[in-house]
Parts: sequence; C-alpha cells; structure tokens
Amino acid sequence: MNHFMIKQFNGLDDATAQRLHSLGLQVGSSVQAVRFYPFHGPVIIQVDHQKIGIRYRVFKLLTGGKPL
Amino acid sequence: MTTVALLGNPNTGKTTLFNELTDKYAYVGNWTGVTVEKKVGQIRHSHTKVIDLPGVYSLNPITKDESVVTNYLLGHSPDLILNVTNASQLKRNLLLSVEVLELGVPVIITLNMIDDLKRTGHYYNLKTLSTELGCPVRTTNARNKEGLTELKADLVRDQSEIKPNLPLKLNYPLMVNQAIRQAATSLTKDYKVEPKFAHWLAIQYINNNKVVRKYATMHQLKPLLSQKAYYDAQKFDDQIFETRLSFIEKTLASATEQLKSTQHVAITSKIDKVVTHPIFGLPIFVGIFYLMFKLSFDWIGTPLSGYLDGFLSGPISSWANQFLTQAGALPMLRSLIVNGLIAGVGGVLVFIPQIFVLFACITILEDSGYMSRAALVTDRIMEMIGLNGKAFIPLIIGFGCNVTGIMAARTIEQPKERLITTLISPFMSCSARLPIYSLFVAALFPRHQALIVLSLYFLGIVVALFMAKFYHVIFKAKEHSVFIVELPQYHIPRLDIVWHGTWDKGKGFIKKAGTIIFAGTVLIWLLSNFGVHGYVTQIDQSFAANLGQILLPVFKPIGISTWQPISALLTGVLAKEVISSSMMVLFHTSNQTALIAMIGGSFTAISAYALLVFILLYIPCFATIGTIKSETGSAKWAAYSVISSLAISYTLAFLIFQIGSLLM
Repeated sequence: MNHFMIKQFNGLDDATAQRLHSLGLQVGSSVQAVRFYPFHGPVIIQVDHQKIGIRYRVFKLLTGGKPL
Repeated sequence: MTTVALLGNPNTGKTTLFNELTDKYAYVGNWTGVTVEKKVGQIRHSHTKVIDLPGVYSLNPITKDESVVTNYLLGHSPDLILNVTNASQLKRNLLLSVEVLELGVPVIITLNMIDDLKRTGHYYNLKTLSTELGCPVRTTNARNKEGLTELKADLVRDQSEIKPNLPLKLNYPLMVNQAIRQAATSLTKDYKVEPKFAHWLAIQYINNNKVVRKYATMHQLKPLLSQKAYYDAQKFDDQIFETRLSFIEKTLASATEQLKSTQHVAITSKIDKVVTHPIFGLPIFVGIFYLMFKLSFDWIGTPLSGYLDGFLSGPISSWANQFLTQAGALPMLRSLIVNGLIAGVGGVLVFIPQIFVLFACITILEDSGYMSRAALVTDRIMEMIGLNGKAFIPLIIGFGCNVTGIMAARTIEQPKERLITTLISPFMSCSARLPIYSLFVAALFPRHQALIVLSLYFLGIVVALFMAKFYHVIFKAKEHSVFIVELPQYHIPRLDIVWHGTWDKGKGFIKKAGTIIFAGTVLIWLLSNFGVHGYVTQIDQSFAANLGQILLPVFKPIGISTWQPISALLTGVLAKEVISSSMMVLFHTSNQTALIAMIGGSFTAISAYALLVFILLYIPCFATIGTIKSETGSAKWAAYSVISSLAISYTLAFLIFQIGSLLM
C-alpha cells in the first residue's frame, strides 16, 4: 500500500538529516506513509512503531524525488 | 552527596519519573553561557541529588535547549547517569545511550513505559541487554509508579558504592578507530586530559558535535583541530552512525523475546484517525481551544472567581476595616490596607480560579500528547508565514505566560525562526491580561463575555502571524524550516500529573501577587494619595491624576477620556495584573461590582474595545522584556520589542476607535 523505502538523504539540510538519523532512519529503512495533508502539507510516516510528522518536501527527497 | 543526572530522549516520561523520584525540587542557577534553569531535586530521605536535563535525541545538539546537555557533560561529572528510555522505541533511544556509555561514567538504563512495550507483544531480555551494553538495565512505568522502589534503591547509594562502568567500546571501522586512538592518546599525553574523557571527546569531535568542536577550539586542543579537515573529508560521522545503528540492531535482535499473549490496543491510532484528519484536524484544533476558553471563562473559572471576590471584598474587607478602626490605626494606614492592598492585590487574586483552569487545560494538552498533533495540523498555515507548526506550541504556552512561551521557543531549530517566534510571543494574550478583560467585558459586553475575550485572543494571534510574515520578509530568511515532530502515544491525563503541572505554572502568579503586584499596588496607592502638597484627600490633586492628565491628550484619539486608566496603564508595565488592581485603587472602589459600574459609566462599547486592544498589544511586562533580552542575547531586541509593540498597539486602537466611532 503506502510503503516506501528511504533512498537518500542527499539534498537535505544538515539539521534535518541529523534529526532523522537520530530517530533511527537510514538509507534502506522502510517507512509507511500514514497520512498526507492537503496542499502539500506535512506527511505522517510510521517507522519502527513510531509516528513522525515531516514536511512533504523532505518526504519526497527521502523517497527518491528530486530537490524542489 | 551523590549526584544523579537524568538524561534521555524527549517523550520518554523523564519529567514524570523525576517528579515521582524526588519530593522537593527547585529551579536553580544558570548554565555557562546560556541562561537555562536547571531543575534539581532530592530523593526522599536520602543524600541523592537528581538533576533533570532537557530531553535530547543525541549529544550533538541542534537546538539551544539540547546544547545544555552536552555543556553539562563537558563541565560536570555526575556520579551516576540515569538514562531514561522509551521501551517501545528502544532502537533510536539507544543511539543516545551509546553516546553516553562511551563516556565511561556509571550509567543505569531504565526502560520506561514498559507497559506500552508489552502491549506490542515484545519484551527484551534484560540480562542480554545489560551484558551487551555493559550497564545495569531496569524497567519502570513512572505513570503507574511501577519499578520505582527498585530504581530508587539503585540511586540512593553512596558515591563509593556505585560500581564504575567501563566505557562502551564499539567496533568502529579501522580508520575511525585509529583516528580516535591517536587523538585520545595525544590529548592525554600533551594536554593531561583524563584518558576516558579524551576518548569520548575524540569520538564526539570526529562525529562533528558542534558543541564539542567549539570546546576544542576554546581549549586549543591541537590534536583534534589539526585533523578536522581529514575527519570531515572521510565522512567519519556517517561511518560512526552506521556502526552504532548496526550495533543496536544486533543487540536488540538478540534480546527480543515474543510474548505469548498480545493485547494490542490501538487506541492512539483510533484517536489520531479523527484528531489528525487532513481536513477536520484544523477545526478540531479550534474546537479544543474554544472548549478550553469556555471552561476557563464561562463554565468553571468565572463563577469561582465571583465567589472568591464576594468573600474578599465582603467579609474580609469589612472585617479588616473594623479591626483597624477598633485598633485605632491611622486613617491613612487603614486606607492603604483596605483600599490599597486588599482591594488591589485581592482584585488580582480573585482571578486565580480562571488562570488555574486555563493552566490545567494547557497541562492536559501537553500531558496527553495532543500538542505535537497541534503542531502538525497547523504546520501548513505556519509555513505560509515562514515558520513551522512547532512555533505554534510556544505561542499557545504564551497564553499562560509570555515568559514561559519565549522559553519554549528554544526547541525551534532555526535561529531566525526562533528570533521571530520570540518577537511575536508578547502578542499572545497571557493570563495576566485576563483580569482587565474580565472587568471590561462585565461592564460593557455582559451578554457576549466569552466571545469578546476570544476575539482579543484571536486578534493577538492575527497580529502575531502578520508580524511573523513581515519579519520573515525583512530578515530574508531563506533556509528551509526544520520540521520533524514525533507523535507520541496518547496518555490518559492523570490527576496528580495535571495538578503538578498546573501548580508549576500557576505558582508564579501567586508569588507575583505577593511581590510585584503588591509593590505596584502600594506605588499606585502612594501616587494617588499624595500630590505636590503632600497627603491629599481629593484624588484629583494627586500625582497619579497629574500624570494621567498630562498624557490625556495622547490617549484621547484612542478613546480614553479620563485620567485613571492612563495611570493604570503605566503601572501595567510592572506586570499586567497590576492594571486591574490600579483601577481598583484609582476609582476608589473596594469590590468588583462597584468598579464595573464605574467603568460602565466612563466608557462606551467602542472606546472600551479600543482600550482592550491597546492593553492586549502594548509594551510587554518587565519579566517578558528581561526574557527577550536574555534569550536573544541583546538589549536591542528587547528595546525594539517595547517600541514596536507600542506603535502597533496605538495604531490599531486608534483605527478601531476612529472607524468605530464613524460607523456608530
């Protein structure tokens, strides 16, 4: 369904990348997108039994999209 | 005296654990550099001191709040570190534990919220965990007071009884290990750094820890500084992260046990389905706030305040008057006590119920886990003004008190966003402004009290958001916002935790009544009873009247036609509560009902609303000005805040009064 794999941390600013690392995310982690907010608002992802809200732009980058 | 430092990720129940372990505590002292209050408590019947450190994800800080922990470890050596972890999210919690264990200070890890873990159908073999990590591992559930007795027994030991830990040694890649060893050896040899600490320092430096790098520069630690470019070019920090994560994954895999019976209750998911709904999330957020205001101002707070006022201005006031007359006290002293202190300070104290109900609501929102959902549903709106949803939390806390609101802005990652949030925080209508609203709405808008007050709160938010956008454009803030919020499991708020939090926030208000509001009331009483010719019986000849009358022409355009409110506004800079106590003294009334009648007589609906808007937005109180100065580190921003808010408040009040008068 809404399963994605984290493909890259490239293009993220240092602080965001570091915080995501601290939450246990790395290349190859599988995440489930629980919820998308309208107008490209935040995305709720679930990793290792925990839910995290991130910005749409960050979500796109993590899952292999191009920097906006 | 044994010192235990409490350390852990956010949302691990660290504060609850701290409150359960210690009986009395105090906020004391400053940390080096930044003014952060540390919370120090004492375990019952023991010589163990517990220090509560802010929640952090790693020792490499992103926010100002987080740098406190690293600075503490660089400057102090606690006898024991209690690492509080969230049992059901052990993987990422252990990332921090590994950093702490590498320090070589005795560590106890506690798996808190152990019930949540059991519900997921897993358990960990504590023995395996303990062997792999090289430190004792306990389980607790602070909310239900489980495992606390055992944990306390571990903590109340004497320094000499605490077993030393060997620093945790991970198998970093060869090159990294070599770099760590070389740096540590020469730090010990040439700079006399203690070997264990040198080892930790080297790892943290190589791992690009900003605070440690600053520390190395400050102490001119050449062995580290000279290799910086090499460490970074080799991307050693990524290798360190990967080694740690794979160590943790391996450890957890070997320690995981499956429980036979799983009673998976997905209560959090069920609530979230509604509360974080993409479309209904925002209206629900507004609804929750409306409910909060209804509770504070209509259903519970205001009726209680009414009883309290009846008691203070009735029996208490007349009893004191009689007592003083019988005791033969000077009329002047009697006037100071009855008309000044009891009326003034009492006039502020009657708002305790409303303020405490509001604080209780905010605490419930914090404790239940809703706050991070609020950040999520408001993020898209905040993005438009260049902030993120996290800035909403300090603003909401600002409804209680702007000072704590500004402090809460420390959790915002980007410095520019933090500055903007700090500057707009004073526009949030804090609880101290409530007393004066209540008086005016009771006098002029008796049928729409909650609505008028809510409109002021909303106006505060609108002005704050507008100014945020303005600053965003002016500062040319281009960096992307860092917005990552964890959505913790919901908890049913527990009565004692809510009471604890409410009291923590509200006791400042009571303390203020005894100090600054007391002083302000005496000041205004003096100003209103003395004039150029000494003690005056006619208040019109007092200093307060003179001062008010001089400024009257300035305030005429915003609809103020008598001098009393102007003098009251001047004292309001001490603390906003003083405005209402000053009014009480200046209008020579001893109870709310009489004052409300007086206000009703000297204001129209429009001029009253204009004045309320002015009060909402004008100069922040002393405490807030001081906090802006200490948080931004510059008196200029504090001065700017005073001037800009005065200009904004005057302009808006002017427009409301002038346009309103034309229409009516």
